[in-house]
Amino acid sequence: MEQIFFSLLNGVIYGLVLFMVSAGLTLIFGMMGVLNFAHASFYMLGAYFAYTLQEAIGFWPAVIASPLLVGLIGVGVERYFLRRVHRHGHAHELLLTFGLSFIIAESIKLFFGNYPVDYRVPPSLDFSAFSIGITQYPFYRLLMGGIAIAMFIAIYLMLTRTRIGIVVRSAIHRPSMAEALGHNVPLVFMGVFGAGAALAGLAGAVAGAFYTTNPNMALELGVMVFVVVVVGGLGSLAGAMLASLLIGIITSLAVAVDHSLADLLALVGAGDWAYAMGGLMTLKLSSLAATLPFALMLLILLVRPGGLMGEKG
Amino acid sequence: MRNHLISCLAGIALLAALPFLLSQGLLNAAIQMLIAALFASAYNLLCGQAGMLSFGHAAYFGVGAFATVHAMNAVGGAGLLPTPLVPLAGAVGGLVFGGIAGWFATQRSGTYFAMITLAIAELVHSLAPHLKGVFGGEAGLSTMRMPAWGYDFGSTTQVYYLTLAWVLLSMALLYLYTRTPLGRLTLGLRENSHRLRFLGYNVHGVGTVVFALSAMFSGVAGGLQVISNESANYVVFDPALSAAAVLNTYIGGVQVFLGPALGAALMTFFGYAVSDLTRSWLLYQGILFVLVMMFMPTGLSGLIGLASRLREQHGLGRMMPAVLMAVAAAGAASAAAVFVIELLQRLFSQEYRAMLAPDKPWPPVELFGHLWQAPGAATWAVPVLLFGAAGLLAWRCRRQLAGLAAGEEARATQAAVAPQVQDTKEPA
Repeated sequence: MEQIFFSLLNGVIYGLVLFMVSAGLTLIFGMMGVLNFAHASFYMLGAYFAYTLQEAIGFWPAVIASPLLVGLIGVGVERYFLRRVHRHGHAHELLLTFGLSFIIAESIKLFFGNYPVDYRVPPSLDFSAFSIGITQYPFYRLLMGGIAIAMFIAIYLMLTRTRIGIVVRSAIHRPSMAEALGHNVPLVFMGVFGAGAALAGLAGAVAGAFYTTNPNMALELGVMVFVVVVVGGLGSLAGAMLASLLIGIITSLAVAVDHSLADLLALVGAGDWAYAMGGLMTLKLSSLAATLPFALMLLILLVRPGGLMGEKG
Repeated sequence: MRNHLISCLAGIALLAALPFLLSQGLLNAAIQMLIAALFASAYNLLCGQAGMLSFGHAAYFGVGAFATVHAMNAVGGAGLLPTPLVPLAGAVGGLVFGGIAGWFATQRSGTYFAMITLAIAELVHSLAPHLKGVFGGEAGLSTMRMPAWGYDFGSTTQVYYLTLAWVLLSMALLYLYTRTPLGRLTLGLRENSHRLRFLGYNVHGVGTVVFALSAMFSGVAGGLQVISNESANYVVFDPALSAAAVLNTYIGGVQVFLGPALGAALMTFFGYAVSDLTRSWLLYQGILFVLVMMFMPTGLSGLIGLASRLREQHGLGRMMPAVLMAVAAAGAASAAAVFVIELLQRLFSQEYRAMLAPDKPWPPVELFGHLWQAPGAATWAVPVLLFGAAGLLAWRCRRQLAGLAAGEEARATQAAVAPQVQDTKEPA
């Protein structure tokens, strides 16, 4: 029982971290139609910047400073790279961000080496929040979840309650009309791109200390973030939240399940046949944990191509 | 047309003569280049000609590779087919899997298509190590090239000729495909699929066929890889391989048929040549790709087209200074970039970090046979000067080209004005 509770909680918190990265990605896609391949690289940059800065200025200042730096890089990418190739179309922009993600990953390897760095939770935050039975639950996980929820509320309020939010939403839906009304749409694009990158950087700075910080983290998380964004519906913030939680919980629960498809078929009496089949049939669900999100994504794309909460299908 | 044919034949003759010119190691690199060229050309059928951007083409390469391994190991190791025909198994594997995956993926277009291909590739990549029976787990499967048709396929030379034959055959088929009505429809799919549907074509069907054909030729490439390595392992599904196909294809240029093959061959060759010299080859490749995407979307093969256009317009003699300047500028800029990257790589490497002591000056770094003082102004002046020279040369080259274009225009207006002058005279 407590194991299920802990896996559930772990899944929710992993989902919230996924959301922190996918929020920016889905906003950028909704607005510019660009699926930013380099977005997860911003997550990685956030973690590495925070790791580098924390030695000099301490953990919390580093967690605040590194998203700002990453945001600046994001602004630069939009202003000097994406805007230049905008006229060649979305495929070209996608390819460009793909190349940038490559360069960022390789630069990280150049500066920090092709192995995990020792970025860990500061001792002052490394204690257990509560324990059930003999299992203790780390406080830092709850902190990550709390930051993600605070971020969700902040973005949501900013988009729905402020003037900036109205301009951004109008730029998302009718860019040319917003421009005709005298709003500087390219500036809004640049701002949202920078803000999205900063959010990913924040996620990296916070989560990098808990999970591992290595040059492959962008690739590992990046694919998962694409899954989240597609499942949730490209451009939908609430969809991204829902899909992140769903995928976080599915992967985390699946790891704990030690049964296979054959066990399921045994319930209806086809067990012997399924065990004899081998292959996929006898593969334990726990070893499929990494595969499930992709299967879910394919299913969603076929059944409901716009995603769970997507409008622009 | 005749020129093209002659240069193609010359290229084939050169490729056929390679085993007499190269060492064994280089011949192995040539085999890898041929395979990469075929893979990139197969990929280009999908992304360049049909306009469908796939980020997971390694899946079809890998399926072709494993189909070939199983075909070679079938019948108690004797092989389902004689060794020279065994890439057919890869082709069938790629075709079948590509047909299924393509049916799913081509339901959608644009970004969604890219995401589906990525998801399928990741699905296979994450599943493969767990399916020991099919993919041999982490260790992979190994096999043996069986003698057939009087050849024993024991030497690299024989493997090279087998690879060359298959690559040439596949490239020829891919080229002939572009001349068929279906090949023309493929271009239509890229340009305007709505219109194609309006004309009564089954767009989804065409898309699936193109996808499956591209996967089939990728499968052949995978099969050739297996013949050369005598093994396959789930690493062939790695996203890095899909990424390499994308990078190579666009660096080579998608608009010319041989562009992707050229890009892939060049990149594979450089990857082989510099792998001992630098640890940052992928970084150079990424930078080159981004530069191509930003400044010359037609790729390296587009440069050749540009040069021949200039030659037609201005003649060889007058364009030569501009071309030489452009080459010199590119050379200087690359030298500067290589210098900076290699120096940084050495400065940040673990070995160098370990040598640092808190109160001692930084030890010098060895690079290109010279010892450089890391904080010294002289060290950093080298790339700055090189970059400056590159900028100056590029600026001069632009002016030269602008001058050529202006001269051309002046002559054109002169030619246009001259008859006009006569016209005005006539009524008088």
